[in-house]
Parts: sequence; structure tokens; C-alpha cells
Amino acid sequence: MMLITAVRVVQIPLLSAMLLGGCTAKLTRTLRLGSVDAGLGPTALFPMRLRRPAAMTVCTIEFGLGAGLIVTAGHVGAGWPANSVRLGTGVLFLVATCALLELRDTRPDVGCGCFGEFSSAPVSARTIARAALLAVAAFATIDMPPLRVPDRGSALALLLGILAAELAVLGALSPELGEALVRLGYSEPCELRVLAEDRTLSSLRRSAQWRKHAGEITAAAPVDMWRELCWRYVAFASRVDGRETEIVFAVYLRPRRPPVHSALTDAATSEVIPWPAPLVRPAWPLRLARQARQAGLARLARLSGPHSLTSAGLPAPSGQPGRPGPSGQHGSTAIRPAVKRAAAELTPGLEPLLAAPTEPVFPDLSMLPAPPMPTHPLGSGGSAGSARSGRTGDMQLSKDI
Amino acid sequence: MLDRERRACCDRCPDGTSSASEERIARRRLLKAAIFPAHGEPEADRPGRAGAAAAGLATGPGPATEGPATEGPAVAGPAVAGPAAGPAGGQPPAADWSGGGPGFPDAGLQPRAVTGTIVDVCPQVIVIGDAQGEQRFTLMADATAWRGGQLEPSALRPGEQAVIRLNPAQRNVADRIWAGIGRVTGTIIEHGRDGLVIDEGRTRRRQLVVIPAQAAGRIQVRFPNLEPGYLLDVIGIRRAGLLEARVPATSQPAYRSDRLPAPPLLSGHVPDAISGSATWHDCADEPHGVLGVGYPALDPATGCAENAAGAEPRGSVRMPYLAVGSVLRIRNDCTGICVGLPVTGCAPIARLFNDRCVTCGTSPRGRVADLTLASFVALGGELERGCFNATITIGH
Repeated sequence: MMLITAVRVVQIPLLSAMLLGGCTAKLTRTLRLGSVDAGLGPTALFPMRLRRPAAMTVCTIEFGLGAGLIVTAGHVGAGWPANSVRLGTGVLFLVATCALLELRDTRPDVGCGCFGEFSSAPVSARTIARAALLAVAAFATIDMPPLRVPDRGSALALLLGILAAELAVLGALSPELGEALVRLGYSEPCELRVLAEDRTLSSLRRSAQWRKHAGEITAAAPVDMWRELCWRYVAFASRVDGRETEIVFAVYLRPRRPPVHSALTDAATSEVIPWPAPLVRPAWPLRLARQARQAGLARLARLSGPHSLTSAGLPAPSGQPGRPGPSGQHGSTAIRPAVKRAAAELTPGLEPLLAAPTEPVFPDLSMLPAPPMPTHPLGSGGSAGSARSGRTGDMQLSKDI
Repeated sequence: MLDRERRACCDRCPDGTSSASEERIARRRLLKAAIFPAHGEPEADRPGRAGAAAAGLATGPGPATEGPATEGPAVAGPAVAGPAAGPAGGQPPAADWSGGGPGFPDAGLQPRAVTGTIVDVCPQVIVIGDAQGEQRFTLMADATAWRGGQLEPSALRPGEQAVIRLNPAQRNVADRIWAGIGRVTGTIIEHGRDGLVIDEGRTRRRQLVVIPAQAAGRIQVRFPNLEPGYLLDVIGIRRAGLLEARVPATSQPAYRSDRLPAPPLLSGHVPDAISGSATWHDCADEPHGVLGVGYPALDPATGCAENAAGAEPRGSVRMPYLAVGSVLRIRNDCTGICVGLPVTGCAPIARLFNDRCVTCGTSPRGRVADLTLASFVALGGELERGCFNATITIGH
């Protein structure tokens, strides 16, 4: 007996929450769309001119009954007012059940609209069962005495347990729950992702493919840029071996570290041209040499005292920055042999690189171990691993120097 | 350099039919193929065949109809034609990609639409032409005509603007004639005594639509709400500066055009094939005979003026973003005709509709392609029906 009473008690707040929730969702949708006509659900059964008043009436009744259930739950309004509200709630859900049955037959493509745009899925047996269950729940509350807070912990636990069980049942009968969960964890497919072109260009310019081919590109702005599905294509004018070409990059539309592909084409015919040579990336041996030079200088500084080097720890240039000095070389000629020796000790085999680190004298790269090629995991249109070209390597090296 | 101005008008500036646009479309295909080479490509898709063939644009073949030899996006000459296989005639599909790689239809094997002014018509022959010249087509006994309703071809009058569908097997034989046909699709701006003022998009002129009394009942059953803000899509007859509506092209959506319902969410990847409704548009700024498709989800980042400024073009169907020059494989699910067409513009109005096409069965909701008149005829569509059930495939 106590269990049945507890079940009946739980229905009042539950029904009220359902009604107020449904009303709020419908209002939200109406405010967002700016039109009551766009509402879903059984109002679609009405002629166009009656849909607006029908939708407004349903929403008003839901709000009135939801609020009425709460107001009349206690001693205020006990008796016939409370029973009227509960009877009205039961009738509302009963009519809703019938309307959903009708809607499923006549407009199988329309959702029930019970919770606004969350209820866009076509009416199913679950939706109808939920409305019927709520109707039964509402009728079960008629003639129930006023609610009061349970004075015992066990009674409160029983109420909470019943509430949780009924919520689980309603959740299982609600297709809206799945929709809400999907929206919470939704991530747009790449085909539908909106990504600004500038962001694509920034990602491209940070990519290894760009660093490999930047030397050939002759214009900063792309010739053409367009998108297809998950890729954005960017074409740049370029010149390779004296031939007018275009380098086209395909950048995956992902905000961070997107895969990039590239290909070389003829500017006039758009025919694919094989990459002329792998673009050796000499940055790492130079960086190594620079480190060796720094280490050598530090060692010299320790030997010669604090005044032999500039405050930056580098030899003071004898000419203008970036230009050769009177002797045609940068840096202190007195220090250079010591640097070379120190560096040679630290990194044997790199001495040729240290002959004149700031001069446009190109080392014989064949002496160096093959540097790792910056290949992309997805590969590229380039010809990595093919024969080396001194020209392209030199160009890159001179740029780095 | 990247031509921002041209991109803003979706590569279809006032001179949008110039060779620049055609080359751009062709080049994009070739550059894409350079990065992602497709296997088993037809010859027309391979590098070195840029231009009209690579762009998939009709070159106005066929002995009877060459207009000015057009090499590009498909400008059909005075009366240039488009492809189209005998739509309802039970003829085999003229072009089908199902067996091979991607490719454009062989225009010589497609039915075509010839557009022009009727010069003369008699029960056996119709003469159509314009400033470029005249063409004569034989009228078979089963040829039919449409001018707001079905009628005998001999009832047509000289001086009327007409679209003629040619028999794919016999190029000098007219299969179907539409006289003065026009279509207005857009948002109602004003409902006055003179008629309805319709907004067809930011880059198109507003249209005036008059609904005559004899068609009012038929149209208002499908378009009950003729208040500003609601959508209208009607087919009728072009008269001086206005369209006289005769038949509704679809059913009116219940929502206002500026209050679209949220599209369904998609997880994973967008499917390769998307089914829905394919419609045609009647744009005075677009030359007749253009073979192409307006795609409802053009990349919003391009700043295409046809799209709402700064707005993400979300329609009722979630479609992957493409650009002008992308190629779609479009299949008419009613006739089986399947061709590849380049995207030549966006379809800002088409994406506002959440309707179904019921030409053969019931299509899924949403418009997936807004075809040019020539493309629609080429795919076997009947203009007065307004749509056909279609499946588009992207990225192949």
C-alpha cells in the first residue's frame, strides 16, 4: 500500500516537469524561428489557418497544467481544484495519444513536436507509449491527498528510487534523449566544416610541403583556391628549371596540423610535371654547425677572457651586418681558425661547412650523411628519394645562410 | 593572382560565360587530378584536354544545332542544345557512369534542348531561330507542346520563345516543345494588386508573378500562404516583364524563408550519394544551353555574393561544401539517365526548400541540385513538372 502511495506521489512533480519542459522547448523553438507555424507535431493535422492558434493553445494548456500541478500539490487548492488540474492533465495526455496515433497514420514523416526541435523524429510506438503512460500517471493522481515532505529517511529513499526508475522508463521511451546526447557530443564532419581560407593558408605555410617547395614559388598570393569536400586546393605560380609552372597544394580541412599534398603542373597546360629533384633540406646540418660554432666560441671565450667576444658571445663583425667586411669575410679572422678547430673536434666531418659560415660558399653536400626528408605520412606529389640536384640544394642552402 | 572580385560573383560575373570561367573550371579539374589521380579516367578527363571537353561543357555538337561553336561552360548557341536521353521514351540512358570512371556525357549521344524564337510552325515542321540563324525541325505525329497546358504543336504561334527537346536518335526531329515557359522560385517580398514580387537571390533581379484566376485555386492549394517572407515556386508563361503562373512547382514549406528549421545532424562522413529533388531554374542572366548545375552548398569561405553575406549556407539538407568547377554525377532516378555536370553556381534559394519530389515515387526531403534548363532537359526532366527524383554523387 505504501508503495502504491509513493508511486502516486512521484507522478505530480514528474508530470509537472514534463509539461513545463515541453512548453519551454516549444517556446524556445518558436522564438528562434520567429513563427508558431513552423511548429511540429499534431498541429500539422490542422488547416494552415488553424495551426497557429492550435500551437498557442497547446503551449498555454501545458504551461497552465504544469504550474497548476505544482500549486495544487500541497494544502493550497486541495480538493476539487487539484483534482480538476490532474484530470485535465490526464485528458491532455489521452488526447495527445490519440493525436499521435492519427499523426502517425496521416503524416508519418512529421515528428511529434513534444519537445520542440528535439522531437523531429517521426512518431513511433515509443512516443505513443510515453503519452499513454503519462495519461495513466495523471489519472492515478486524482483524489490523492496533499503532498508533504516525508519525515523518514526510508520513505524519502523510496520516493527517490521510484522517481529514478520512472525517469529511466521515460528516457527509454523518449527518442529526444538520443537526439540531445548526439547534440552534446556532436562534431561536424569535415565535409561540412567551415574553415576560413586564411586559416588554410596559415596551415599550409607551416607545413613541411610548403617548406620543401617554397623556393620555387614566385608569388605570395595564390593563383586559385577552391574547396572540394574535405580538401582545399591552393595553386601558386612557380618557376622550375626556367619553366613556368604551378604548384598545387591540397590541404585537409582540419584546424590543426592538416595533411598536405602537393603536385607540380605546367602553368599553361596543367599537365603534371615530375618534381625536378628532391629538395634537400640543409637546415639540420647548418643548425648543427651553428651549434658547433657556438660551442667553439664558448670554449674560446673561456680561454681568452671576457673581452675577446661581444656581449652576445659572437665575434664582432668587421663590416656591416649582413655584408662582407673589408676582407670579404664576416667575423673575426683571428678567431675563425680556432672556431674551426673547436668545431672540428666537436663534430668531425663538418669542417667544410665551417669554412665561412656566412659566406655564399656552398659546401659539398655529398660529404654529409643523407638528411631525413620531411615526408608527410600521407605522402606527397613530390619525388622524394630521387636524384639530388645541386642547384636546388644550393638555392635552399644559400637562403638559409 | 586570386581574383577576389570574380570569386565574389561565384565566377559568374556579368561576363561569366567568358572563356576565363571555362578555363578555370577545366583547370581545377586538372589540378585536382594532379594531386589525386583517378584511375580509369576517360580520355576527356586526362591532362592535355583542358577546355570544353575537360570542363564537361557542351560544345554544341550535332549537325543540326551548332550554334556558335561554344567551348566552355556550355553556352549553347542561338539555339544550342544540351544533352538528354529520351527521358520518358524508354530509351537507354545516354550516359551512365556506373560502368566506368568519371566522365562527362557524350553530347553527341544526348538529347538536347534547342532554345529560340519560333519563326514558323506547321503540322510537320517547326522553324526556330534567332539572330544567329534559323533551324528547321521535323514534328513527328507524337510530338507534343506545352503553353500553360498541353496543346498541339501546330497551335504554337510565331514569335513565341520556345524550348525544343530533340529526339536523341534523330537530331532534326523535335520531341517536345515548351513555349514561353518560365519559372520563379524565391521569397515573397510583396503581395500587391499587381501581383507578387519575388526575390530570387542577391544577384538576380526581382520577379513579378501574376496568378490568373483560372490558376489561383490550383496554386493556392499548394501555396496557401502568399504573405511576405514565405517561399513561392511556380511555373508559368513569360509575358512582358512578368511570369503568369500556371502550375505550382512544389508544395510550400510551412516556415518562413528566414526561419529555416535546423537540419538533421550528421555523424561520421557525409554519404557519397545524396538523394533528393533536382529542379531547374530560369535565369535571364544565364545564356540558354549552359550545361551545369547550381549547387546548394557552395563553400561559404569564397565569399560568393549569391550566398547570404557572411552566413553559413545551411539548408535543410546537409550537403558537403564544394566550389565552382567541382563535378557532380547526377542521376535521374526516374529515367536512369546519369551524367556528370560541373558546378556553375550556387543555389541559394534551392536550399531553402525542404520539399520532396514525387515525379516517380517520393524522394527524400531537400533539393540537391538546381539544374540549368538545358541540363534538366538533358537528364530527361519534364520542365512543367519542375523536378525529378535525383541522386547526386560527389567526389568520384
